[in-house]
Amino acid sequence: MSDFQELIKSFPKTREYVRDFFVYGFKTRDEFREKSPRTYDNERRRLESWLGDYVRKDHAPKGSNISLAIDSNLLDTNPLFRVWKTKSFTDNDIVLHFLILDLLQSGRELSAEEITECLLTDYETFFDVQTVRRKCNAYEKEGLLQKKKIGKTVVFSSDLSLPDLIGTADNILDALAFYQMAECFGVVGNHLTQQLDFENQSFRVKHGFFVHTLEDEILRSLLDAMNQKANVRLELKSSRKGMLHTADCTPMQIFTSTRSGRRFLCGYLSEKKRFSCYRLDTIKTVTLLDLSEKYDELSSAFARNRKYLWGVSFQSSSSHHLNKLTMKIQVHEPHEQYIVERLKLEGRGGSVTRLEEGIWQYETEVFDCNEMLPWLRTFIGRILSLECTDKSVEKRFYQDLKTMYRMYQIEN
Amino acid sequence: MELFSEIYSCYYQVLRHLLLTRDALTLQDIRSLICGEGFEESLLSIIPKLTDGSWDLLEKDGTLYRSKISSSFTTPVSNLEKSYLKALLSDARIGLFLEPQQLEMLQDMLADISPLWKPEQFCCFDRFSGGDPYDDETYRRIFRTLLTAQKQCRYVDIDYTSPEGRRTRHHLIPARLEYSVKNDKFRLLALEPRRAASIPFKLKILNVSRIQNVLLLEKTLSSPVDLNAVIRRTYYKEPLKLRIVNRRNALERAMLHFANYEKNTTKIDEDTYECLIYYNQAMETELLIEVMSFGPMLTVLGSDGFLKILRERLQKQSRLSAMLTKRH
Repeated sequence: MSDFQELIKSFPKTREYVRDFFVYGFKTRDEFREKSPRTYDNERRRLESWLGDYVRKDHAPKGSNISLAIDSNLLDTNPLFRVWKTKSFTDNDIVLHFLILDLLQSGRELSAEEITECLLTDYETFFDVQTVRRKCNAYEKEGLLQKKKIGKTVVFSSDLSLPDLIGTADNILDALAFYQMAECFGVVGNHLTQQLDFENQSFRVKHGFFVHTLEDEILRSLLDAMNQKANVRLELKSSRKGMLHTADCTPMQIFTSTRSGRRFLCGYLSEKKRFSCYRLDTIKTVTLLDLSEKYDELSSAFARNRKYLWGVSFQSSSSHHLNKLTMKIQVHEPHEQYIVERLKLEGRGGSVTRLEEGIWQYETEVFDCNEMLPWLRTFIGRILSLECTDKSVEKRFYQDLKTMYRMYQIEN
Repeated sequence: MELFSEIYSCYYQVLRHLLLTRDALTLQDIRSLICGEGFEESLLSIIPKLTDGSWDLLEKDGTLYRSKISSSFTTPVSNLEKSYLKALLSDARIGLFLEPQQLEMLQDMLADISPLWKPEQFCCFDRFSGGDPYDDETYRRIFRTLLTAQKQCRYVDIDYTSPEGRRTRHHLIPARLEYSVKNDKFRLLALEPRRAASIPFKLKILNVSRIQNVLLLEKTLSSPVDLNAVIRRTYYKEPLKLRIVNRRNALERAMLHFANYEKNTTKIDEDTYECLIYYNQAMETELLIEVMSFGPMLTVLGSDGFLKILRERLQKQSRLSAMLTKRH
């Protein structure tokens, strides 16, 4: 393993490894069949190096398991942000980063030639002008430097008013500390607070699904496409069988599940003339295609359809376009009023009606009632009846219930 | 605007801290800093680069190293960071933190920047309605007082309305403000002093929206308390033990669903896995609901306490079904 490097050039391969270790947390060397044992060893060593404090090793019959023990209830940061801080670079990159930015701290405006000269005189470091100019231009694109023309000369400068403001305003730093735990792209907030030497010690998240930070680059590309109203080609890898395929669509919105943290792209498939959703963690690459001429029209159609979504499915197995579900439940009033509150808060717009004392009805109309099954099961113990125009939903609910009675030896 | 860029690299952060040190450093100082802030094997990569001059950022003075850059060095904010900030300014919760004039000033400074995302580009389809009232001035004042107390380790007196409607008073030290993405609500994790000297504090959790008033006291916490130790003490000794048979993609679904719990999963045979989930009394009902939502795809093997409440629910359902069948 003499060629082992702690830093990496590209993110996607590592993203899959980290995800596997995090999500499954039990795979041994033999179980990573898709990659060579050498690759597995290197990836595992990197993971241990980056996330050492969170790596757990357990001995299993077929070799040792490594997994990531990350309990969001107990953490003030997302440890997986560290994976984003592993990009490799050249010697010139890091030296020029500090010297150019240091040189321009005082607010001076200098040309690439002047910067090159100062690097030699002030820091005794020699670089050719081309290299310096390339770095300055790259930093101008990143926003770290400003570029303007004075006469015929292009000069570069650095604006520190924003970091100076943020660094001295505790409440802005608190906001950044909170949002990096609770919102998307938290890693960007984490970069920012880290540069200002501020750490979150005030906020935690109850339903934090840290692994999804790994999809943030994919998310950024999709948001870019939405802003441009452009079509995209997605390269997808099925989570069940690992098969690769592609799909062209018009991206409309990102759906997020607060219960699993999963994020989905909802897009319009013009070939199939329908909306569909793709999990972000199954999207390997996003390629920008042409602009969508019908984007605004599709947005209106999407808004009309969205109110009939329970989750992410636009069609059911039944012949109906829309399916109606009615559930009656028993509620011991008044001390079980919280159950009625649950129906109202969690029922996603469905109607909640008191039929008589102790009996309440929940009713809704959605595309795919199958998606409701996990939620409906949370009312087990008080369900008086369940009716659905998609009969397969009723059937599956009662079949599953019977199976559970058998599993837990409940007389039925 | 790359998210994966060397400018955010851990090595750049380590170097920045090395270079901002005013005093000259020994090689041992440098090693200690790298070990403290870098990755586990960063020392092996960084030290040779600094000592052989490939990263010509330190001046060698005998056995000491001096930084070539100014100790007041500040990294400018990148476009990616600016667009992130800009997106936050449109969020409903930003008013909990920023004063209106501050918000306006940041809007001006970021006038030419496009936000990294817009609220309407996202939809949390299973978020509960009835989130906290972030625009309410009383709520904001309470939130800020709690945050001040938390940061300064000060005691507070809280006037609280319990979910049952009872008015109660609490004398606590705020430890963290916990946000629930699912409920869109903040809860206060606080330390409640106890008389028993062996365990001086117990964990108290209050919904911020139920706090009627909060009084910031001068009294401070005398010595730091390990909040996680206090939380872990609340965990049941016996974790929830689940068996997952990998059908209908149950394994991946369960692993993602329970990803926010402390857990340990092992493979039993080709298709079967066992997962231990650590939890406490406050998490129990929510965990039970989550387990039930999986139906027969998960089997609860333990703990006895958890199995008992699950079986009770099923028995209740079975009795209800039997009663209805008889009636018909």
